[in-house]
Amino acid sequence: MLRFVLRRVLLMIPALLVVSALVFTIIQLQPGGFLTQYLEDPRFSPQTVETITRQFGLDEPPHIQYLRWIQGVVTRGDFGYSFLNGRPVGSLIWERVGWTIFLAGLTIACTWVIAIPLGIYTAVRPRGAAATAVNFVSYVGQATPDFLLALLLVAMVLSRGGTNVGGLFSPQYIDAPWGWAKARDMLAHLWIPIAAISLEGVAGLMRQMRAKMLDVLGADYVRTARAKGVPGQAVLWRHAVRNAINPLVSLAGLSLPGLISSTILVSIVLNLPTIGPFLYDSLLNKDQYVVTTLLLISSLLLMVGNLLADLALVWIDPRIRYQ
Amino acid sequence: MIRPLRLWMLAAGAASLLAPAVGLGPTTGLAVSAATSDKLIRGYESLGVVPGKPGGRLTMVLGDSPQSFFYYGAIDSNLHALAGHLYDGLVEYNYATYELEPALAERWTVSRDGRVYTFSLRRNVKWHDGKDFTADDVVFTFEQIVTNPEARGGDAGAFMIGGQRARFEKVDAYTVRVTLARAAPATLQYMRLYIMPKHKLLSHSVEGGARPADINSAWPTTVEPRDVIGTGPFRLQSYVAGQKITLARNPAYWKTDAKGTRLPYLDQIELLIVRDPEQQVAQFLAGNIGQLNISGAQFPDLKAREQAGAPFKVVSSRALFGSPPHLAFNFDARNPELARLFSDLRWRQAVQTAINRQRIIDDVYNGLAELPGHGVAPVSSWYFDTRRSLGRFDLQAAGRALDEMGLRPGPDGVRQFPSGRPLEFTLTYGTDSAVWPPIATILQNDLKQIGVRVNLQGILSRTLLSTGLSGNFDAMLLAFGDQPDPELRKPIWQPGGALYYWHRATQPATPGGEPNMAAMQPWERQIYEIWETAGTTVSRPQRKALYDRWQVLFAQNLPVILIAKPMAVGVIHNRYANYVYSLGVIPGYNPVPLIYQK
Amino acid sequence: MTDRAAIPTGASSRGWQRFRRSIPGVVSAAILLVLYAVALLAPFLAPYGAATQHPDLRYQPPQRVRVIRQGRLVWPYVYPMVRARDPVTFVVRFTEDASRPHPIRLFVRGEPYSLLGIPMTRHLFGSEDGTVFLLGSDAFGRCLLSRTLIGSRVSMTVGVVGVTISFAIGIVVGGLSGYYTGALDTLIQRVIEILLSIPRLPILLALATVIPASWPSTYVYVGIIAVLSLIGWAGLARVIRGQVMAMRDLEYVTAARAAGLRDLRVILRHIMPNLSSYLIVTATLALPGYILGESALSFLGLGVKEPMASWGLLLRDAQNLNVLHLYPWLLSPGALILVSVMAFNFLGDALRDAADLESL
Repeated sequence: MLRFVLRRVLLMIPALLVVSALVFTIIQLQPGGFLTQYLEDPRFSPQTVETITRQFGLDEPPHIQYLRWIQGVVTRGDFGYSFLNGRPVGSLIWERVGWTIFLAGLTIACTWVIAIPLGIYTAVRPRGAAATAVNFVSYVGQATPDFLLALLLVAMVLSRGGTNVGGLFSPQYIDAPWGWAKARDMLAHLWIPIAAISLEGVAGLMRQMRAKMLDVLGADYVRTARAKGVPGQAVLWRHAVRNAINPLVSLAGLSLPGLISSTILVSIVLNLPTIGPFLYDSLLNKDQYVVTTLLLISSLLLMVGNLLADLALVWIDPRIRYQ
Repeated sequence: MIRPLRLWMLAAGAASLLAPAVGLGPTTGLAVSAATSDKLIRGYESLGVVPGKPGGRLTMVLGDSPQSFFYYGAIDSNLHALAGHLYDGLVEYNYATYELEPALAERWTVSRDGRVYTFSLRRNVKWHDGKDFTADDVVFTFEQIVTNPEARGGDAGAFMIGGQRARFEKVDAYTVRVTLARAAPATLQYMRLYIMPKHKLLSHSVEGGARPADINSAWPTTVEPRDVIGTGPFRLQSYVAGQKITLARNPAYWKTDAKGTRLPYLDQIELLIVRDPEQQVAQFLAGNIGQLNISGAQFPDLKAREQAGAPFKVVSSRALFGSPPHLAFNFDARNPELARLFSDLRWRQAVQTAINRQRIIDDVYNGLAELPGHGVAPVSSWYFDTRRSLGRFDLQAAGRALDEMGLRPGPDGVRQFPSGRPLEFTLTYGTDSAVWPPIATILQNDLKQIGVRVNLQGILSRTLLSTGLSGNFDAMLLAFGDQPDPELRKPIWQPGGALYYWHRATQPATPGGEPNMAAMQPWERQIYEIWETAGTTVSRPQRKALYDRWQVLFAQNLPVILIAKPMAVGVIHNRYANYVYSLGVIPGYNPVPLIYQK
Repeated sequence: MTDRAAIPTGASSRGWQRFRRSIPGVVSAAILLVLYAVALLAPFLAPYGAATQHPDLRYQPPQRVRVIRQGRLVWPYVYPMVRARDPVTFVVRFTEDASRPHPIRLFVRGEPYSLLGIPMTRHLFGSEDGTVFLLGSDAFGRCLLSRTLIGSRVSMTVGVVGVTISFAIGIVVGGLSGYYTGALDTLIQRVIEILLSIPRLPILLALATVIPASWPSTYVYVGIIAVLSLIGWAGLARVIRGQVMAMRDLEYVTAARAAGLRDLRVILRHIMPNLSSYLIVTATLALPGYILGESALSFLGLGVKEPMASWGLLLRDAQNLNVLHLYPWLLSPGALILVSVMAFNFLGDALRDAADLESL
């Protein structure tokens, strides 16, 4: 087991190296450079351009820039310098990655808490009016672009005279110490992004749960259990749900990067302090080390998510063993 | 062509006779209270400013996190917007006239030859930490920071005059002398640059033993807020990364209102970091933001809400700053037929006649724009009325003009070059804006009606200028911001300048070299000479005459075709009064200290 | 695409029977057929050109089609709208001018266009007396219905073309990987793993910013498709590999190999046809991702550009509180995104159930 984990972790290293090189190459392919956007500024003389180019090491060939950066990452844990923010990338990302993981985690939790019961319900009562309605809504949910949903929710709150139209807190709570009032304020803001981000996930997971449940409910061992006289509820929970949920666990790991993707769009619309808007800006400004680091971190999250999902599967399903 | 030239010479001559002396002291009518050394802010009744009452809090927005708290450490509009609250310069703009007037310098004199500026500093000005502001700070700021070529937000170029660096000397604790190699009247404009505290930043400077580039690492956004020190109306209180900046009133600020009440009125300013303009409007409507600058496109909705009784006001005003869009044709377009056409004044005049400015003002700006000036904002005192040269929108006349050029319509209605190739070109514009796409489509539509095929090419606004400077375009929609002194826009409008992107053949072969005079058209040579002369002319009336002449040449020869000058539009909650519109990023123009909570 | 999917290739006719019993599936297939027909005939169905501006009719609300006049049933007509601008707020308001009914005519002569290479001037419907904007107009007085119809060409093809490219790459790469195993397989698997470990949207954005700004909008459209499919193929290749691995030792495959056929030929001619129902279902379920991907890129200003229209680009105009408040009809292209994505999902699910492919 330990060897399995170790092997997977070791395999991540070359993968991450390739990802970083790939992303760095893509950024180099972008037309223009970081400095071009400032040219209109009356204070920005050609000398300044030259000075800053030299200060940032942008006068060197790209492969040297990359090798220097990766050397810094490996030997010093230094993720480079953000041109746009004038600060080391590491601390910048740190400020935002916390909220990103928090939001993604909360979204996953909400997704599961809502989707699994709905999936079970629609599988157990497949022909009911409620199940049909839930099913239909799930299709609508999957087809609605999340940014549009976020915008519609903001418009709705606004038209009802609400004030929680974006951000994570009301202005007065942003720098206030934590307390009940602040937590309540955050929850009042949080439901819009969570709803917008998780709707698609809820719809997908619910339908998968329903499909697995239908399979399992039709399987021999469930019928056998029923025939043996095990009470209906016990069959449902002990046999059916448990077996249906197993394959979904691996999906949880896979859904993490998808969530990070969704937080990008929704965070831009709702002004959330996550890595999404940060990534978008860095991309447009060719802030190369920030983009590479952010993609590297997202890739790492994905790999770790997959690994955790595999491990969770072992824990849930005693039949699975990794050599 | 000839008549205006004579007029101009007459005007310039008369002006030089009338104003031979050069004393550019503080504008009259501006009272400086000698006893307290505070600056009395009054005379803005025309802007609706009344005496206010102290207290209260105002929340505004910032478009993104600042890159630093050190003004000279980064070129960043968010930092600039913040810096206005924290720091002061030696001089600042009058809110109504945009003329320079005393700020940290109580008065100044300029030598007769325009080379020596002597600034007398305001006494009893304190840094936020209680230390005295003195001449040492001023000399340190200019010597160690502004003219340090490694400072990213510095401006070494502005003080390289006549091939020599300006000299900054401390005469006594409250007097600073600036000596230039030759007269350069725009220098005073640069004295708006914010003064930094020597006692806090010495260790980052060369004088303090650091390397030149180390100055950029002063006051990163992770710094302890107490360490960020200015003389401005507010001081930094706290920063929550990516979310909010809180500023607290500077109780010892050096401005008072007409009644002697110390400014600023507000106890606290919060700058909420909201990136998306829609989200900003939402936050404003939700009451989380007290004031917001908006675009003309957002005007109807907000104005309609105001009319329906919402607790805020939409305020629009003719503004000096702000960027009037222009249409530029590439004189050096890759396609030689197009290059020849675009260099032809008759073509540019015909296109100007086909531009429906009124429709653009109505439809794109919702009426919140005016006819443009030529390189100078119509509200500016440097403005010369060139509106008559703009002509009237007349598609038939435009079509006739093209007929006369020998560009006849082909069977499909598209005009053809004599070679038989269709007259079509690509118009590059920015997609991520409320203004560019509609203007581009309106132009495309109107030009289509006179048989000119325009292919639209949308790119991100921030890459427009670099595309222009690379020369890889046929025609482009772009805008340069107006400044209170034309000299500040010299690299744009002087042929051969670094930003003269529509005729790159005029630019010097090597950066900083002599421009290619041979490539210039006669009128471009005239404009070039005007800029050369104006840059060293000390007398204001003479400069005005020169710039008037330039504006006339501009309007007649259309290096670019100006489209409209947008007005400044903002919304403010009814809780607040004394709102004077401000873009907020121009050093020396910050009316927020006047705002008070009712 | 859809009509091919409706033919039970490789699946038994029982599958076809099952599919026909799925009401959502059949309805979705019909909707998609209509949408593709619309995309094909868009210039004919649209009363105006996608870029034609009516300067005096900016932000005109949709005109109501009426069939009753003075209590009697008549040929459908609309009332022209009169524009008035609020002098203070500049809000444009339209009122119906009930004195001048404009009948809607069929096959009216209008702007010239070319359909399948044939130059034409007749449009399905229109009004000879004035303009008719059934979905209202946008900021330039362009007919939103026309733009939506013509925009369907981009939106409905982006998925199909993208999926086709993804599949072409996925089938070849996945097929080779599963067929050969060994070192090549390992290498391909590593590459796929790395591609899959890069989150989708960030890399999509990164690639979209690489598309040169100087490209005309048709190139950008191709570029967007290329970017979308470049990201889409990896997951597909992995699944195909598994399927191929399972099949390569089947008797008829080994027989084909023994007969001396070239490997690629074996993969494409003998293995893939047996996976066809599987591939069709996967393709149908993958399509919505491309449609939504295109709209996300357009939302961020990195997608197709004016003067081209796509539903995502049209929706960008509506992503604005101002618009939501004053001109809500601009949201209508969003409904088409919703409908088409839902239809693809319903169809995919119905096909999957019919083909009995639980594993998807």
